[in-house]
Amino acid sequence: MIDLVTSGALAGLSLDPSTLPQQLVNGLLIGAIYALIALGYTMVYGVLRLINFAHGEVFMLGAYAALFVSYGFGYTADAGDIAGGTWTLLAIMLLVSMISCAIVGAVIEFFAYRPMRNQTRIAALITAIGVSLLIQYGGQLFLPAQPPPSISEKVLPADIRGSYDFNLISPDPQLESDLAAAKTAADAADSELEKMLTDTGQREFDLEPEHPLRAAKFETIGEVRSLSAEIENSSVSVTVPRGQAVMFGTVVLLMTLLWWLVMHTRTGRAMRAASHDFDSASLMGINVNRVVTITFIIGSALAGAGAMMNATFLRTPLTPFFGFMPGVKAFVAAVLGGIGNIPGAVLGGFVMGLAETLVVWAGYGQYKDAVAFVILIVILLFRPGGLLGSSKVEKV
Amino acid sequence: MLQVNGLNVFYGAIQALNDVTLEVQEGEVVSIIGSNGAGKSTLLRSISGLNRPRTGEIKFLDETIVGVSADKIVDKGISQSPEGRRIFTNMTVRENLQLGAFSRKDNEIESDLEKVMDRFPRVRERLKQSAGTLSGGEQQMLAICRALMSNPKLLLLDEPSMGLAPNLVTEIFSIIKELNDEGTTILLVEQNAHRALEVAHRAYVLETGKVVLSGDGSDLLEDDRVKEYYLGG
Amino acid sequence: MNPAVEIQKPSLLKFWGSRVISAIAAIAFCAGIQSLGGPLADNEFLYRIIVLSGLYVTLAVSLNLINGITGQFSIGHAAFYQVGAYTAGYLTVRMFSTQQIGEVPWLILMCLVGAAAAAITGLIVGLPSLRLKGDYLAIVTLGFGEIIRIIAINIDEVGGAYGLSIVPKIQSPWLIWALAILCIAVCRNLLKTAHGLPFLAVREDEVASSAMGVSTTKIKVTAFVIGSSFAGAAGALLAHYEAFITPDMFKMEVSFIVLTMVVIGGTGSITGSTVAALALFLLPEWLRGLKEANGDALVVSAPQLLGATLAIIAYIALARRVRDHYHGKPIQKAGFQFGVAAASLVLFFLFKAVFAQIGGLAGHEGWEINSLRMAIFAAVLIVIMLLRPQGVFGHHEFSWAWLKSLFVKKKQEAS
Repeated sequence: MIDLVTSGALAGLSLDPSTLPQQLVNGLLIGAIYALIALGYTMVYGVLRLINFAHGEVFMLGAYAALFVSYGFGYTADAGDIAGGTWTLLAIMLLVSMISCAIVGAVIEFFAYRPMRNQTRIAALITAIGVSLLIQYGGQLFLPAQPPPSISEKVLPADIRGSYDFNLISPDPQLESDLAAAKTAADAADSELEKMLTDTGQREFDLEPEHPLRAAKFETIGEVRSLSAEIENSSVSVTVPRGQAVMFGTVVLLMTLLWWLVMHTRTGRAMRAASHDFDSASLMGINVNRVVTITFIIGSALAGAGAMMNATFLRTPLTPFFGFMPGVKAFVAAVLGGIGNIPGAVLGGFVMGLAETLVVWAGYGQYKDAVAFVILIVILLFRPGGLLGSSKVEKV
Repeated sequence: MLQVNGLNVFYGAIQALNDVTLEVQEGEVVSIIGSNGAGKSTLLRSISGLNRPRTGEIKFLDETIVGVSADKIVDKGISQSPEGRRIFTNMTVRENLQLGAFSRKDNEIESDLEKVMDRFPRVRERLKQSAGTLSGGEQQMLAICRALMSNPKLLLLDEPSMGLAPNLVTEIFSIIKELNDEGTTILLVEQNAHRALEVAHRAYVLETGKVVLSGDGSDLLEDDRVKEYYLGG
Repeated sequence: MNPAVEIQKPSLLKFWGSRVISAIAAIAFCAGIQSLGGPLADNEFLYRIIVLSGLYVTLAVSLNLINGITGQFSIGHAAFYQVGAYTAGYLTVRMFSTQQIGEVPWLILMCLVGAAAAAITGLIVGLPSLRLKGDYLAIVTLGFGEIIRIIAINIDEVGGAYGLSIVPKIQSPWLIWALAILCIAVCRNLLKTAHGLPFLAVREDEVASSAMGVSTTKIKVTAFVIGSSFAGAAGALLAHYEAFITPDMFKMEVSFIVLTMVVIGGTGSITGSTVAALALFLLPEWLRGLKEANGDALVVSAPQLLGATLAIIAYIALARRVRDHYHGKPIQKAGFQFGVAAASLVLFFLFKAVFAQIGGLAGHEGWEINSLRMAIFAAVLIVIMLLRPQGVFGHHEFSWAWLKSLFVKKKQEAS
């Protein structure tokens, strides 16, 4: 039995260096989204010592908000021939997602978490779980999910379509010309075969496998295939769809804005004071309830931005349950970086993204969700404070 | 300036303050002494709005402040340096001071910062340091500075000498005297009864949540009971 | 104080008296369950849920041992359930046909196997998790649960995502309930005897307990191991009753349902877990069977749903106000609470009528009651946490003594 497990486990391992850079880039792109969501977790935990289980669901709602905006502008699944979207449309989708998530976050805090402030942490955590489940299963009653919709690619303006291609290691020109020649040969063999079939009125599968023309066709096609593979394996290129590059830039911008807010404004100081302890913050004249609400609003808005970009540029299919895994991964990211630590959440997000794509690259795509949990367990066992240190040390 | 009448404060089912009545006149230093668990901190917390009394009245400048939230009480002019100092260790000294002035909306904050630092040069030295790296005495001074930054009419000090070396204690109390000479009204809670009574105009003795003795600071210093229980015989 | 903590130093009669009564009741109950099979032959659905509810009782009480009684917070209980089911199921598929033991003895053996496998898993989960505090521990247990589920999906040998068929199907209703009763008895005894006090002490104050020499580590791990063993045994029984298991049957959903049962019943109250497990398993099944007058499944209309939501929000706000701000006599407080509940009911009808006037809502087809099930679960969880976080039963426990006291009281009052 052990034998079966290990031989089965390692059988999928395949490390192809030529695809590594692409996967690293993919990791950074998805990591950016995880980082945005992780910021919400870390900020809320910093202020309330609560794991906002429902954060992933806020993310999910943000994606649906963006979807509905796109529907409102006509980009439904059966839209047919509709002109490409505009930057304005994207901006509106982003704003609507962020605002609706901010509202949902504030509402959840007010109705579900604030009443639990004087209860045990476990009680608050259970409430958070309840809210998460309620949004998922409640969403199932109201949101379209069969089949899972995704935002139409036509939403992207014309100048965002396409991608940036980077050839890191160009293919051998000799191979390329060989490939060109092989393709020509394949086409020639194919047309010769077609001609013969038309002349004689036969069909291809009537012929014997060893028929010279048929054999020639398959041989030349085989040559094309093996040359293509060789070229692919020997060259290294990275493709970044333009939309995802824009997405990355927006994420960086949002993070910078957040950093400025937290470190250099009065509100940010109030947030940091409240995350230290409520009573002292109140003694400074800080309205702690307001700070908590602001924290939720900002964290949720960031998740909404991440959701809109995820749905629009990565075109994930939406279901009421699809926010759960990104939520878990982002939570692990926050813990990885040090829960309560804002730069930590960003670092954690990128590490999670990279870990995920590396697992896929290694051939174990079916385990990519399990990776998050493994990382979580490893971090909590060996370095619970996270890579950059937690803002609150758990002492007895 | 401050009037507390018949205050009853409960933690769940446990009564922490029992029918407490006291007052603070403008310009005074009033000390509250008593042993551990007597309810001194609870009293200050209730005045600052962190605990809500079950019954009783607290009036500041003839305005009832019971039930007003803690942050608004700072607006009204009461500021506290809490028990254990509670400075924000995740921020710099400067940021701590800026937070002290959080409730202010005027333009004089920077100049007040300067003035406060003139009085406490050690704080100025450490302006950019993380507050967590300060020594106990420095943290206490920072806590008091921070409380002063809001230009309070009434300053509450909760055990300012706790855990400090004797020479620092002397320094703290001379600062308290100085502040009062310059016009700040101070309500002081202390376990160090001797110092607290020395510096006070009037004082109250709190025991298991009740006011058991009150009078002028100098009188209480001579009182036999006080001597026996709090001044070491 | 806390009735569950009373140490009995009774006379021999009292000591054995209640135990004998319990044992007789237990045997009678199991026999009764088994014999129900006859009369309920045509209502297979009903019989099945009566039997399966026993599994949930085991799951809830065993989770309660970990969560409620030692104050840890595990939410990945389905993992142990799954490990037990798959281990036992796989062994049966491989080995049953090659040996001579009868079906039921084999099943009992498989229970032990499932329990052992789950216990080992519990050890693996429990040991490292001890350092972690509440919420972190919760996530880790959830994580372990998911890891196990994902591993199971990817091992083709046990059927992967398609599941594992178990031959032969061994259905033993009395054994399922015997396990449940055993679980209750074991947990109860762990509490009531000297062995049990350390468990409660760890829950109440870990620092103090360790200062007094209670090995909190040992206690916590023991709780994990015992709790997971029972879940594993339940898993083995499930596998053989249904004769088919898939990883989907052990999704996080299951962990949450069991957690809800424990929380609503009262973390720390075995009685609470039992009652809540039965209620929360049987009620939805019963609701699922409800039909409209015309034979269609029961449908909840949009105005009803919205009206109920608003009425519940109003109820929560009012009930909390009464709970937190009324300091008068308990009987008056209870009266107020009753009034609040009645008022909310009135509000429900009011809101429903108002919403029914809105064309779009009245015309909406509504939802079958079954599709609302999980959402209602979640809502109930939130409501309970907001109104009564200690659960319906709090720390109270059923006992024969309590039952007796109901009758004795009258006599005492008379004299």
